[in-house]
Amino acid sequence: MVFRVIAAAGTVVALATVGLMVYDSVITTAPVISTFGIWDFVTGLRWAPSFTIYGALPFIFGTLLTSVIALLIAVPVALGIALLVTEYLPPRIAGPVAVTVDLLAAIPSVVWGLWGLLVLVPFLRPIEHAIAASAGSVVPFLGPPTPGPSYFAAGVIVAFMIIPIVAAVTREVFAATPRLQREAVLALGGTSWDVVRRVVLPIGRAGFLAAIVLGLGRAIGETIAVTLVIGNAPRIGSSIFSPGFTLASVIANEFNEATEPLHAESLITLGVVLLVIAVLINGAGLLIRRRVTQVAGRGS
Amino acid sequence: MAAELTLARAPAQLRPTSGGRRTRAAVARTLTFVALLVALVPLLAVGSFIVSQGIGVIRPDFFLQDPPGDLSALGGGIRNAIVGTLEMTGIATAIAVPVGLLIAVFNAEVGGRLATAIRFVIDILAALPSIVVGIFVYELVVVGQGHFSALAGSIALAVIMLPLIVVSTEEMLRLTPRPVAEGVRALGMSRWRSYLAVLLPTALSGIFTGVLLAISRAIGETAPLLFTALGNNFFSVSLSEPMQGLPLLIYRNALNSAFPAARDRAMGAALVLIAIVLIFNLVGRWLVARRNLARR
Amino acid sequence: MIIEDLPPSPAPVVPPPRPVAIAAAPVVAPGAAPVVRIGAVSAYYGPRRVIRDVDLDIPPNSITAIIGPSGSGKSTLLRCIDRMHEIIPGAHVEGSITYRGIDIYDPGVDPAAVRRTIGMVFQQPNPFPTMSIATNVIAAARFNGLVKGRSAEDALVEHCLRQAALWDEVKDKLHHSGSSLSGGQQQRLCIARALAMEPDVLLMDEPCSALDPVATQQVEELMLRLRERYTIVIVTHNMQQASRVSDRTAFFTMGTDRAGYLVEVDDTVKVFTNPREQLTEDYISGRFG
Ligand SMILES: Nc1ncnc2c1ncn2[C@@H]1O[C@H](COP(=O)(O)OP(=O)(O)O)[C@@H](O)[C@H]1O
Ligand SMILES: [Mg+2]
Repeated sequence: MVFRVIAAAGTVVALATVGLMVYDSVITTAPVISTFGIWDFVTGLRWAPSFTIYGALPFIFGTLLTSVIALLIAVPVALGIALLVTEYLPPRIAGPVAVTVDLLAAIPSVVWGLWGLLVLVPFLRPIEHAIAASAGSVVPFLGPPTPGPSYFAAGVIVAFMIIPIVAAVTREVFAATPRLQREAVLALGGTSWDVVRRVVLPIGRAGFLAAIVLGLGRAIGETIAVTLVIGNAPRIGSSIFSPGFTLASVIANEFNEATEPLHAESLITLGVVLLVIAVLINGAGLLIRRRVTQVAGRGS
Repeated sequence: MAAELTLARAPAQLRPTSGGRRTRAAVARTLTFVALLVALVPLLAVGSFIVSQGIGVIRPDFFLQDPPGDLSALGGGIRNAIVGTLEMTGIATAIAVPVGLLIAVFNAEVGGRLATAIRFVIDILAALPSIVVGIFVYELVVVGQGHFSALAGSIALAVIMLPLIVVSTEEMLRLTPRPVAEGVRALGMSRWRSYLAVLLPTALSGIFTGVLLAISRAIGETAPLLFTALGNNFFSVSLSEPMQGLPLLIYRNALNSAFPAARDRAMGAALVLIAIVLIFNLVGRWLVARRNLARR
Repeated sequence: MIIEDLPPSPAPVVPPPRPVAIAAAPVVAPGAAPVVRIGAVSAYYGPRRVIRDVDLDIPPNSITAIIGPSGSGKSTLLRCIDRMHEIIPGAHVEGSITYRGIDIYDPGVDPAAVRRTIGMVFQQPNPFPTMSIATNVIAAARFNGLVKGRSAEDALVEHCLRQAALWDEVKDKLHHSGSSLSGGQQQRLCIARALAMEPDVLLMDEPCSALDPVATQQVEELMLRLRERYTIVIVTHNMQQASRVSDRTAFFTMGTDRAGYLVEVDDTVKVFTNPREQLTEDYISGRFG
């Protein structure tokens, strides 16, 4: 009895907190919604607090763009690391290698940002310049100017930050490949690549997808490191080398100085937008993972 | 029987792997090593950068003095930030651990529809970007209190830690061998006593590991503190006042890194922060590894 | 863990002529050159030796049964013959194994090449779960580059499924998943899959232990038919099975060092009616194991 009451109490606290959050976000975002309308707020291109004009699109765009850049870099790298650890390295070496990659996740966001600001951005600038000068004239969205802080720099930093989580989940998925399946390929004269191609990847596909979605969920919420390297410009840049903003970074950057009318409320509304995106992505991830465990439970 | 097919194999001969397949296998394997290299380069780059730039900054005064009011001014230390980080993380732990344990025990033992609902809520909490946690705690605590405070910062960190602790504890309770769980019931203990007396202690090292890893995550968080603890430049241990933390201090100084003094301070603080995070992280991992060895 | 890829090409070997199939010969013709010769083979998992000094010749177009108590190293020996033993980390083999005169443990020999010629069927049916029945059959033929083109593939699928006595049961659902089949069907699918790479020798590790009596009988009939074209080695727990299907029987047991060794090998009729060793007699009459 006592047990039930106390356990329930802890639970009620958690539920109440979430309830309060929902209530609170409705209350604070209401004036923003009623002034601009949901659709116009979300698709608004201009963000000008001194004119009381608030549009979220530049930040949604920045969040999605940096996340896509991050995934394009992180996913192949994480896939490679997962395969290396589960398929190619002997167990004695594979363990320490996995732990070392995990260490990337132990570096705090603000330290990534500090390094990004002082090392990565100056390092990338000539590269961005060279790409913009060559490919930029042909391919849209790769052109100049290349001031340094940019969507691209933010995407690269976020990629480094999500590699360990994507690699760790993928690694576990691949390691769960039934031994009998690997042996079937080898016994048929297959190479290590045939094992990967015919068994490890097809069987682990859904789990790998779940790992990518998990990484995406992390990428969209990344704040401080992004704020330090993205250049903080509240518009849709003309190039991936343009400075920009993400939902998280504009909140971090402006909230404490938000004194204009509706400014703070608009930033909170951006937070709700970010929350909705995060919950949708993670919900998709959970669904995929649930399907994966069901399939694994049935055994194959 | 179908018509005889011609033998692809000459009798009594081994068919070696074709050159193309060898090449493909070798290329695939090489690419995985390249992938590892791509991940190790930034790790080494960040590590060597912070250590080489930060080590010169660290003197006894760095731990014993507070920063100057003006970030661009030379001198001072990060005492207030170290103390603030430890205090806020400590309070966050004191909040998140009991609540997390209770939720985990409830979910594992009582189950039912309520547990499903709670699990859903925990999943959402785990999905929350940390900046969003910061905003909500601002709304609920800072606005309610009327001022920024270390308490608000601690609560924000606790919200970050809570789902991590619930998930790892549930996992541990599930791994606790069933005979133990049923055995204590058979002894006629109440559920509550059986948890306190037997199950939690059995799962303790695993739960402890989960807590350590949650701490190592919370200790490096900046975003939840921006609008809650806010940070300041003097020494304070009061829960009702703004409080400095290492990540906050690094962030503010990084924004002013054009000034050599701010840049150096950020470097030194980053080195200290990484050291603290690594200690919690590595001890946690070491415990995991030891437990896995023991289980084998 | 795969760490043994890509050794250099094997030295060209001049093959001895392939012996003519002996149709339905119940007992192997004396003097036929053995297909596989196992000489003084010991196998290890890490430091632990699990089989000791095995000498065994496998004659062509025959079924050799390996029987013996559990743990006597039957599976391990089988896996040594197609170089599957070494994929387990820390495992290694000593002694010599030749296939038609080729030393398969020669450093110049590609283990994958050995496995293409010496096929294996596992105790637990293991069709590829993400592939259809048809794709399962031609999987190895495809990645080994044995077939090109749609019609050749279809012909091979039908040929192998017929050989494995499975065609009639699955011809209308070739594009269903392999795991939709019953256990016995799955095992025959695995046999068809092995046949599709045109092996010379088939190793079967307790292929019927996961099957019901009807499926077991089907697989046994299949083996008897396959003997005309292939050399078969089967590990079995089931003494009746060994006496029903095999031409020769090898009996293994464990020594005091817990390593398995070969007690005796002879024509099956001889081993079951008049064994040379007391140990064999005890085992067969059920006084042991
Ligand atoms: N992967 C492995 N690692 C370590 N030891 C093994 C492994 N597989 C089998 N063994 C050991 O080798 C011995 C022989 O096993 P096995 O060849 O499977 O025997 P059998 O097939 O006759 O039952 C057993 O003692 C078994 O425990
Ligand atoms: Mg066996």
